[in-house]
Amino acid sequence: MREQTKIDGKQAVMLMLSMILPTAILTIPSISVRLARQDAWLSVAVAVLAGLLFARLSVSLSLRFPGRTLIEYAVEVLGRAAGKVVGVLYIWWFVHMGAVVIREFGAFLATAIMPETPMIVFNIVVAAVAAYAVWCGLEVLSRFNQLFIPLTVFLAVAFVLSIKDMRLERILPLFDTGLLPVLKGAAVPASWLGEIVVFTMIIPSLAAPGSAHRLACISVLLIGVFLILSILEALLVFGPEMTAAWFFPTFNAVRVVSIAGFLERLESVITVVWVVGGFIKVGVFYYAAVLAGAQWAGLRDYRPLVIPFGVVLVSLSILLFDNTAHMFAYLSQTWPAYALLVFEAGIPLLLLVAAMIRGKGEKGGR
Amino acid sequence: MRRIAALILLALLVVPQAGCWSRREINELAIVLGAGVDQAAPGQVRLTVQFAKPAAFAGSGEGRSAGGGQGASWVVSAEGRTVDEAARHLSWKVPRDIYWSHCIALVFGEQMARAGVREALDFFQRDREPRETMWLMAAQGEARDFWETFSALENTSAQAIGLINRMKAGYSVQVREMAEMLAGRGIQPVIPRVVAKDEGVSPSPAKEKAGGGFKQVEIAGAAVFKGDRLVGWLDDEETAGLCWLKSKPVYGEITVAGPGGAAKKATVAIRRGKAKIKAFYDSGKGEKVRFDVQLTVEADLVEMQGDEDIARPDVLRALETELGKSVEQTAAALAARAQREFGADIFGFGQAFHRQHKKEWRALKERWDEEFARAEVKIRAEAHIREIGLLSRLTSPSER
Repeated sequence: MREQTKIDGKQAVMLMLSMILPTAILTIPSISVRLARQDAWLSVAVAVLAGLLFARLSVSLSLRFPGRTLIEYAVEVLGRAAGKVVGVLYIWWFVHMGAVVIREFGAFLATAIMPETPMIVFNIVVAAVAAYAVWCGLEVLSRFNQLFIPLTVFLAVAFVLSIKDMRLERILPLFDTGLLPVLKGAAVPASWLGEIVVFTMIIPSLAAPGSAHRLACISVLLIGVFLILSILEALLVFGPEMTAAWFFPTFNAVRVVSIAGFLERLESVITVVWVVGGFIKVGVFYYAAVLAGAQWAGLRDYRPLVIPFGVVLVSLSILLFDNTAHMFAYLSQTWPAYALLVFEAGIPLLLLVAAMIRGKGEKGGR
Repeated sequence: MRRIAALILLALLVVPQAGCWSRREINELAIVLGAGVDQAAPGQVRLTVQFAKPAAFAGSGEGRSAGGGQGASWVVSAEGRTVDEAARHLSWKVPRDIYWSHCIALVFGEQMARAGVREALDFFQRDREPRETMWLMAAQGEARDFWETFSALENTSAQAIGLINRMKAGYSVQVREMAEMLAGRGIQPVIPRVVAKDEGVSPSPAKEKAGGGFKQVEIAGAAVFKGDRLVGWLDDEETAGLCWLKSKPVYGEITVAGPGGAAKKATVAIRRGKAKIKAFYDSGKGEKVRFDVQLTVEADLVEMQGDEDIARPDVLRALETELGKSVEQTAAALAARAQREFGADIFGFGQAFHRQHKKEWRALKERWDEEFARAEVKIRAEAHIREIGLLSRLTSPSER
């Protein structure tokens, strides 16, 4: 099937931003700081470089096959059987990713904001809203995102308001732990930035696919800046030990803000960014999953898949992890290798090399 | 038909908007203002909580009957093996939902502090309600006695001690800073010491008959920890030195011999104090750690005895020198006491060393306490007077 709706470049960047940032700022600081201590922000800088490479890879691949998504050209590049297997793998990964995001979304709200509400309520609600958005199409999702993305500015505002409580000494000395921990700490943020591979499902819907390289670069850099800011915020307010001890250090850092005795208790602000962004993120992966499913099965429309996929997403989100601690252990230990090596770098690289060797696709799409 | 169905659905959506799942109405809450943790029997903690009595807060703060019979707080205690268990036991006595988000201050009783506070702090960080910005203090005596007080000026003693902390009248520490000091290497925790004692009177006919004052809360010095155990107290002057050495803002005042001689005093208000810590490492035989601390204090003259004209630069410079000497002595005495008596690096010299010599630090960090105790600490202070007030010299008959 072919998606008919088109989104423009600005919308695409904003979509990538909301897709990666919200879950990243809450979960990455704790995980990276545990590995790289006060140098974790350098880890993110390293991850941004890696993210730029991933973006380059995914976009180069997509531009060889204009108007087609990864699911479609995988068959052309690898042949029918192998191509279909790759397709199934990606459908699984989009669903898995979507379920993990729903879980993160619910876990944060249930842990930090509303402990008496069962987590499944949050999961069902966010999945239901996302299902509606996906049903309406990519354009609706993008426009909604366009409307709400200015909220992300609150992250920068929160950073500025925390300056009073920051001390530069907390991130000194630089390179204390050496190079290896910094690289280890980069794995998780890199796997987050590598989610940009979903772009391969969206590029055919771009009004001007030729600008995809530029858009992906801008997205990765913007996400990198916000991510470094949020890690620095937590580190400069709490120092490495406390940042590593908390599950959501950025959230705690915002709680500390107190200006003149009345501008305080701002955690609701970061929660808003989280809820809106979490919804967009779920929506994008949900959309990628149903679109991939429909293209894989050769359906004319992806809408019949929306409800069944939604049920799977919510069920998986509950079944995947026993508790929040389990989720964090999985995200910090298993996830980077699994997502990064297989789906974000491995298969795209394989496809690109195979396409070049077999001479498939257009050479022009560098 | 579809339109009508949609309309009905929309109307139905209004219903869940009115309430929310985890709603807690204010009249169902028992708002905690202050909490104290004491050691009861071994292995038992006693949690003392000062609740706000909402009725007393109704109307304007000044509107309530001054020193009236009705207090604005209710103080209860309960025991348990953990802090949260004590809180559960507390809920048997408290008819409302205990709500921690507005807790202003947390106080450890002396016995508890000597036994170790790390574990008792867990609840206050793990639970999502208590905030990281609560003021943390150690009470001389029991935390329960500290909280069983009221405030003559504020609604409750919890608010009073919170405001005293916020004004930076003395040394103050938030829970998050304590947690950072506890977790950090190359620093030992130090938190304010508080007491409740008879202080001041609110004169009224009833008071006249009853006689005597009543207990008020106050900040008095600081409590030094080694690991998570209290090892000793600092007095007010030492605490001022602590604030300078830690580059903490403090709005304290010190009195030194004025330019008119030792008997004539001058009092200055400290506006800023900053410590520049330079760490040195001498390797070779008898490896040694040295610290050069350069203190810079900025102050305003607020009161002076004697007849000198402070507007004269040389008089002012003499006062600055005197002030610098005094700051230097206070800080050096405190540093010596921390090294010899407590063996606890309450200034974070170890962290400064870590920042400047990260390679050498790896070998030293495991035995930093001993290294700190035998380190050579040199403190030099420089004082600058910024403002001298509206008066150039004490009003007295001029010589002419």
